[in-house]
Formats: sequence, C-alpha cells, structure tokens
Amino acid sequence: MASQTEELSQLEDDARAAIEAATTVQNLTEVRAGYLGRKGSLAAILRGIGQLEPAERGRVGQSANASKERIEAWVAARRQALEASDRSANLAQHQLDTSLPGAAGYPGQLHPVTRIEREIADFFTSMGFAIEDGPEVETDFNNFGALNFPDDHPARDMQDTFFVEGNNVLRTHTSNVQIRAMTGRTPPFRFVALGRVYRHDLDATHYPMFHQVEGFMVDERTSFGDLKGVLYAFARHLMGQEIQLRFRPHFFPFTEPSAEMDFSWQGGWLEWGGCGMIHPQVLENCGVDSERFQGFAFGMGIDRSAMLRFGIPRITHMFDGDLRILGQR
Amino acid sequence: MRLSTGWLAEWIDLPEDVDVLADRLTMAGIEIEGIERAGSDLSAIRVGHVLERNPHPNADRLSVCSVDLGGDAPVEIVCGAPNVAAGQKVAVAVPGTVLPDGTKLKKSKIRGVASQGMICSSEELGVPGDAAGILLLPEAAPPGACAGDWIDTGDTILDVAITPNRGDWVSVLGIAREVRAAYGGDLRWPDCAPEEKGAPTADAIRVAIDDAEGCHRYVARIIRGVRVAPSPDWVQKKLEAIGVRPINNVVDLTNLVLAEMGQPLHAFDLAKISGAEIRVRPARVGESIETLDGVERPLEATDLVIADAQRAIAIAGVMGGSNSEVSDASVDLLIESAQFHPSRVRKTARRLGLQTEASYRFERGVDPEGVARAADRVSRLIAEIAGGTVAPAPISIDGSAPQTAESISLSTARTNRLLGTDLATPQVAQLLQRIDVECEPADADHLVCRPPSYRNDLFIPQDLIEEVARIYGYDEIPTTLPAAQLQVGLRPLRRVLADGARDALRDSGLVEVMSFSAIPPGDLDALGLSSEDPRRNAVRLLNPIAEEASILRTTLLPSLLRGVQRNLNYQVDPVRMFEVSRVFHARPGELPEERNWAAAALTRGESRLLWGGTDPAPLFFEGKGIAERLLSALGYAAEFRSPCGEPFLHPGASSAIAVSGQSVGAMGELHPECAARFGIEAPCVVIVVDLTALEALPAREIRYREVSRHPAVRRDLAVLLDRSVAAGEVVEAIRKTAGNNLTSMDLFDRYEGKGVPDGKVSLALRLTFQRIDRTLTEPEVAKAADRVIKMLAERFGGQLR
Repeated sequence: MASQTEELSQLEDDARAAIEAATTVQNLTEVRAGYLGRKGSLAAILRGIGQLEPAERGRVGQSANASKERIEAWVAARRQALEASDRSANLAQHQLDTSLPGAAGYPGQLHPVTRIEREIADFFTSMGFAIEDGPEVETDFNNFGALNFPDDHPARDMQDTFFVEGNNVLRTHTSNVQIRAMTGRTPPFRFVALGRVYRHDLDATHYPMFHQVEGFMVDERTSFGDLKGVLYAFARHLMGQEIQLRFRPHFFPFTEPSAEMDFSWQGGWLEWGGCGMIHPQVLENCGVDSERFQGFAFGMGIDRSAMLRFGIPRITHMFDGDLRILGQR
Repeated sequence: MRLSTGWLAEWIDLPEDVDVLADRLTMAGIEIEGIERAGSDLSAIRVGHVLERNPHPNADRLSVCSVDLGGDAPVEIVCGAPNVAAGQKVAVAVPGTVLPDGTKLKKSKIRGVASQGMICSSEELGVPGDAAGILLLPEAAPPGACAGDWIDTGDTILDVAITPNRGDWVSVLGIAREVRAAYGGDLRWPDCAPEEKGAPTADAIRVAIDDAEGCHRYVARIIRGVRVAPSPDWVQKKLEAIGVRPINNVVDLTNLVLAEMGQPLHAFDLAKISGAEIRVRPARVGESIETLDGVERPLEATDLVIADAQRAIAIAGVMGGSNSEVSDASVDLLIESAQFHPSRVRKTARRLGLQTEASYRFERGVDPEGVARAADRVSRLIAEIAGGTVAPAPISIDGSAPQTAESISLSTARTNRLLGTDLATPQVAQLLQRIDVECEPADADHLVCRPPSYRNDLFIPQDLIEEVARIYGYDEIPTTLPAAQLQVGLRPLRRVLADGARDALRDSGLVEVMSFSAIPPGDLDALGLSSEDPRRNAVRLLNPIAEEASILRTTLLPSLLRGVQRNLNYQVDPVRMFEVSRVFHARPGELPEERNWAAAALTRGESRLLWGGTDPAPLFFEGKGIAERLLSALGYAAEFRSPCGEPFLHPGASSAIAVSGQSVGAMGELHPECAARFGIEAPCVVIVVDLTALEALPAREIRYREVSRHPAVRRDLAVLLDRSVAAGEVVEAIRKTAGNNLTSMDLFDRYEGKGVPDGKVSLALRLTFQRIDRTLTEPEVAKAADRVIKMLAERFGGQLR
C-alpha cells in the first residue's frame, strides 16, 4: 500500500514537471494522455488496486482521484497559459501595412446640380410644396402668352429664345409650370418645379442650358411679406444662416409687384433670381379668380448656387462631362 | 443707358455721394450696373509740345515725334495716332507713370526706335473724348506743366439698366423724376418755348395722318435759315459722355433733346420735301427707302412711313431716309416730334433688324404731353445755336388715342392684403403723389387715382400697388412666413424614379454628368440607327447656336459616348459615367413626347481595379450587374434577353432589358463600328433604361420572409456542358427541377481550358436546400440532386465532373 501511495506521489511530481515543460497545446495534450489517459500511468496504478485489501482500496482510490484532479487543474492552467501566448504570437504575426489605400470599389458621384436640386426639393417639400413637372419643349402660349408677355412687346427681348416647329419653344424658364399646375385647380395650393431651361446665349459666363427652381403659392392672403419670408428661409437653408437678401423692384410680365433678389456675397451682392406677386391676368388665364385669390411666385437659377457652393470655377465644367472635375469628391 | 450725373444735376439736386445715389436708384428699380467715375488722377501726365513729326524708319503707320516737355532738350516719342502733328499740345506720360487703368509705363523700343514716353488718347487717360486719336490740349498749355489742369476729366457716368415697362425712364428727365420721388425737391425745367417769327408753319407744310392706328400724335415745326455746322463744344461733350457721336448742330440737338426728354425727334431738309406735304401712311406694296445708314430697305404694308407728296422720306419711329437728310447745305428744316404705335414700330424695327435710339423709345412708349414740348425745346436750341427763325403756330395732329387708363380705383385694404403691410389711405395717397399720380379719396378705403401722362404702364390696381411698394421701399415691408394649411409635399413618380436611378448608379461607382439636350444630327447616323428607327424622329431647332447642337436628342447615348471619348482623351481610366435626363420624340401637331432615360457607360483600361484586387469579372457582366442593381433599386426585376438587336451594341455581347416581359432598355458592349465612329478605343459597355416606361409597370413591394431554424444542406455540382449552352437557361432549369426545398443557388465558377475538353465549359454550382418547418433528411436532398443531375444530362447533355 505504501508503495502505491509513493507511486502516486511520484506520478504527481513527474506529471507536474512534464506539464510545466510542455511548450505547445498539442504537447500538453500528449502529456495529459500519458498520465491520465486510458493507457496512462494513473490508470496503471488504478488497475493495481484490485489486488489490495478492500479497506485499502477505498483509500488508495480516493488518493488517486485527488491526484487526478490536481493534475487536471495543472493541465488546465498550463493550457490557458499556452493558449494565451499562442494568441499573442498570432496577433504579433498579423501585421498589415495599414497605410495602403482603402479598397471599397469605385466611388460614384452625383452632379453638383443634382445635389443642390435635392436640397431645394427637400426644403420645399418640408414646407408642404408639392413638386410639379412640366415639359421642356413648350407652346409659345404657356411659355409667354399665358404669362402675360404680349406679342410684339419689348418684354419678349428679355429672354433669348430657342424656337422649334409648330410655334413652340424650348422653355426659357420654369414658369410654364405655373400655368400647367394652376389651370384646372382651385387654390389654396403651393408647388415647386425644378428643371432645365434654355436661353439662346453662349459666352464665358452663359451656357444655353441651365437649371431653375420655380415656386408659387396661391391662397386668399399670402402676401409679398410672406414671399420675402419664404425666400429668406430658403436662402438661409441653402447658403447659411448669415446670408442677407435684397429685394429690388423689377419688371416681369407675370408678377406685380415684381422684384429681383440679390444675396450677400463677399461684401457685395449677387443676383439670385426674380420674384413677385402673381399678376392677376396670369391667375385669370389659368381660371383662378384673381379678386379672391392672390399669391407669390419666384424663380432662380440653380447652377450658379452649385458653382458657388462647390467652388466650380467655370460654367462649362458643369456640362462638358469632364470626369476629372465631376468625379472630384 | 449711359447717364451723366452732371446732366442729371442740371435737373434736380443730387446727393453728394454718387454711390448713395446709385444704391437708391437701384433700390427703386433703376439698376445701376456700373459707375464710370469722373476725375481720373492725371497729376503725373505732362503737357508736351510736338516740335517735329517724322516718319518712323521701320513702320508706315508710326511716326517719331520730337516733343518738348519743358526740359533742356526735347525727347523722342514713337506715336501711332494718325492725327498727331507738329505744333500740337498733347498729353504725355513718361516712363514710370501709372496710367488711370493701372498700367505702369515702361521705357521701350518700338520697331527699333527708343520711345521716351507715350502721347495719350482720351481713352488711355480715362476721360471723355474721341478714342481714335490722341487727345489735343489747348494752345495755351505750357510744355512740362501738369496736363491734368488742361483736361476736362468729365462727368461721372452711370450705366443704367432700364426694364422694358419703363420707357419714361430712358431719359435724363425720367431719372430726375425718380430722384425727386426718392429725395424730394423740384425739377428745374429748361426754357422750352422758342421765339417765333415769320410766316406760320402751315404756310410751309401740310400734315395728314392717313394711318391713325399707327400714329397717335404728330407735331411739325419749321425753322428757316439755319446754318448747319459742327456743334459747340458743350453739346459735343454732352453727347460724347453718353456715347453719342456728334454729327452737326441740327442732328446733335435732336439727339440732345432725345437724351434729355426721351422724345425722339427728326429733322428733315424742308427743301427736299416734295409738295410741301407730310403724310403718315402705311408703306405701299413694292415701296422701298434708303435709310440714313445708306441701306436700301424694302418696305411692307404693315410698316408705317413718313411720306411727302411722292415718296417715303422716313420709316416712322425707326430711321430717316437719305432723300430728305439734313446736309451742310440745308437752310430750312422741318422738325418732327411724334408718338407712334409701340408695337407697329417694334414689328418694323425687328423685321429690318434696325433697332435705333428712336425705335427703342417708341417701342416702350413716349409721353403724349411731351411731344410738343420736345419740338419746342429742340427748335429753340437750334435757333439759338444754328441760327434761323422758328415759324409760329406749329402743326399738331392726333391720330388714334394711345392706350391709357382714365382712372384707377385703389383699395387700401387690398393693397395691404397683397403687400402684407399696414398702410393708411392717406399714406398710400402720399406715396403715389410722389410719382405724380393724382389721388382723390373716394371713401375711407378707396382712392381714385390718375397716373401722369408719361406713365403708360399703370392700368390696374396691382400696377399702383407695385408703385406703393416701390416708393415705400421693398425693404420696409415686413418679412413674414405664410400662415397656411398644412399640406403634403408630394413628389411625382417621375422624380422618384429619376432620383432612385441616380442613387443606384452612383452607388455602383459611376459619376453623374449632365449634357446639352441638343446634339448634331449626324450622331444618329453614328449610332447606326436605321431610317425607320423611331429615334430618327427628332425635334429640330429653328435657330440653333450651331449645327452641332441642332436637334433635340432622342437618346442620351450620343452625348454619353462623346463624353466617354473626351474622357479617354483626358486619360481618365476607367471612365464610369451616367446621365439621367429627358429625350424628345417629335409628334406631328403636338408637343414632343418627353421621356426620362438613364444611360450609363463604363470602360476598363489598363489600370488595375484595386491595388490588392483579384481579376474582376468581364466588363459586360459588371455592366449587367449594374443594370440589375439599378432596376432592383427602383423595385423591378430585370430580365435579360439576347440578342437585343440594337445597332450600336455588339450583336454577340448585348442584351435587351425587360421588366415583366416589357422591353425597357438594353445593355452590352459597344459595337466596334459604333465605337470607332465615336472615336472610342477602349472596351466600353453601355446601359440604357427607359425610366418613363417603368412608371407604368408595377414595382415590387418589399416583403421580408422568416428564416429557418433548421440546418441547410449544400450540394456542390460541377458539370461539363457544351460552350453553346446558355448558363442562364441551365440555372433557370435547375431552379424549376430542384423542387421547393431549394432556397438558393450560386454559380460560383465557370471554367474552360486545361482539363476541360475543347468546346466544353465547366460550371460549378452550389445548391442550398432548407425547409422552414423541419430538418431535411439526407435521402430527400439526394433525390432532388439526382433529379437535377438527370435533367442536366437529358436536357443539356451535361456530365458531372
């Protein structure tokens, strides 16, 4: 019996040394099997128990179990240590050159005009203006006549026009949408229209095509003061809270009173667009009772806002499809 | 319009600071677009005495002048002006002098001759005068003195933009009235009434208006015994300052009064008027007239002419005729001051392409009460300056009455409602009285308003409300936000689809471009469109800026391909771009059909996709993937069918794109011939999708499905097939054969080459089976796989590898 106890004690010492000496998890697994496995040293000792007296068997059995538990604990501790050092070795091995460029595929980009148009559309839809559309090739009547441009009147010289067959024109402004949207509807209503317009004009600062936003609101009491308020809110949404506006009396056939508005820019004023109270004749042309209803309309180019916002130096950059410009981020 | 502030100051007191004036006028609706300031600093310019003028040895047009600048010896100066001559006193800038335009003069050699200064023109000095030659100084100027003391530095000139409704502003008087409205004060009218002598006007001329519609008023005056000569200095200077070239005293004075009062005037040589008769009549068929500019102009029956007993002697309101022109020999004059019908003048001026100072004013309307006054004023000035006597009893005949409002009833409540103001009726009246509108109170809320004769733009209450606002000041109107019913800010489907397409294409790594809506007609040929192709049906511009932009595009492709070509030229690699915009299809008797399309193009050049990337899929399939994502983002499942038959696409590498069986576009590699015609040398794939066609098709709704908690079973198959078998059909057939338990299938490899027999291709497919309600059994999966393998063998001759 004493010999078995000694054997156990010796076994524990040997196992402890072997466990401490194991350098890999694999190695440790083999060491464990050598002591605790089915064919291991502890099993061999336990197999000898049968030859002992019954009273001895229990005691030796208990000692053997205690030894086993201790060895298992040493193995577990060693395993944890070895795994931890493996992990840090692995971490140390995985070294990227994180300065290489990111690789998420090609970047796409929206056109500057699209980006500004969306800001504008978001602003006005948030104010309950519905977006309305109209054709770019328009009748002379919807582009001029219904907007109170008399035939053979100098007002027609204000806009250089592209003509197409059938007494039609490329719309010179988005104001044709006023006529189309108001006709057949009864106020109150408020609409905003965005899109391409055309002028027969090409030089360093003019391109024959540009983009406009047109807004109009008609009910029984919307006033010129309200027009100023809406445009102030719009300008500040688009260009920043510090922006100032200036309303100058002007002439448009389709509004009265009419104004041109300028916004403050680098110590001076830049022309922004035109606006005014819709001319009663335009309301009547659309079947709206001009005694009862009144409202405002405004329109301005978007392209220049986009150029100012994004620092685009030349108008031609907007429309020549040069990806070296438009692809910039 | 160029407006001299000095001239304006003759009429009304001005604020001292011209910027204050300019700003005030701008805020009253008279936009001041520029200010040319008086008083160029000429302190560094010296008086020179030209002693000799010799020809330049090496240049015909240059001369070498010896100029006394008051120093010990004269200096040599090379001069290019034709009018330089010995004996003249001139303005000289010596090297080192900074000219008014900011340039610093340097010592220079001109054609081999050293020039020790520059003899200056008025333009170079920034002072009024003739720009063509050098500026001459008075005889008395001593050489070497400061030339600035001997030069009239002129007047500050305002560049004024006048809106087309305000003909009355196109004059010194008109602006003076606006200054009075802004600052108060009184107008200083010049003396107009001439001293009259001799036989009455009617003895010399008879006047008849045959076309009453075309002529509202005609005033004729006779001046006998004038001496035509150059105008005195002060007249010439006044005209030059506003950009009018002096001609002779008679013509200059008509121009002077026109600029001052806005009333066009014309002087005829009375001796050249046949039959002592003036008729204002329509032109006769076949009639023509040589105008003062020397051009023979055919007339039409709608044109209004001034005629004598025999022939037309002027085009009414536009330009006089050579046959009655005032010359140096003229002695007796007929002065015409009239009011013609605005749109009649405009029609003729436009048809003849002849916009004159007169037609510009008549188109905008003149003051009926100013017609006789201007005739008086110009007659008085001519008599004073050119001599002669003015005949008594001028003739004044009225045709039709011009369009004017008798009186307008203006409600203060209405005014306040429109403007958002809180004005009282007397306040409204006060504001209107500042611009000469007579106001009588009718009741507490209403004024009866009578505009002055010179305002031909005030007819309805809103016209007056605008004036109230203008004089009150737009800035004074309170800025408010509207009180209105809440309302949904709807977006039309067209816009939703366009924005969705832009986002999807952007997300696929493409850059949005926008190009002009008009293209060259030849681009449709370059696409290879047949003569029957509906895209041939383009809208043509009647007045294109250039032939390269003369038809509206029926497809976005030409603009896009031109863009691809340009970018390849710029060495952009790869080119990845798209446009979402309208195309136009002509329809007889109707406005064109406008449809929204999306078009994209991508090339792949020599640059690698990414620094660490693997080989990308062939370009066609990248394009196909982009098309799939585009439609999927918009809520549609794209179907691809080959061949697609588009002439601009490669017949073997293109697909029609359909949704729910309806064709909505096409994609594929560019046809090599089309690519060559657009000068595109890199492989290029294009995608075109008709967004308008999608509007009518039902979009898929997003429906999430529950996922299974039970394990999925995967089966990988590698199958050998003939190259001619379309993988898409194989995939479709497997999907139908494998049964409901097949949840997904991926084609993860396609291989041909070593180990695969010639003419064959190996496809590797991963089939995933799964049920939501239970775990699949092995025999169930095996059975489905076997069905697939059998089907592949029977239908496609496929063998497992």
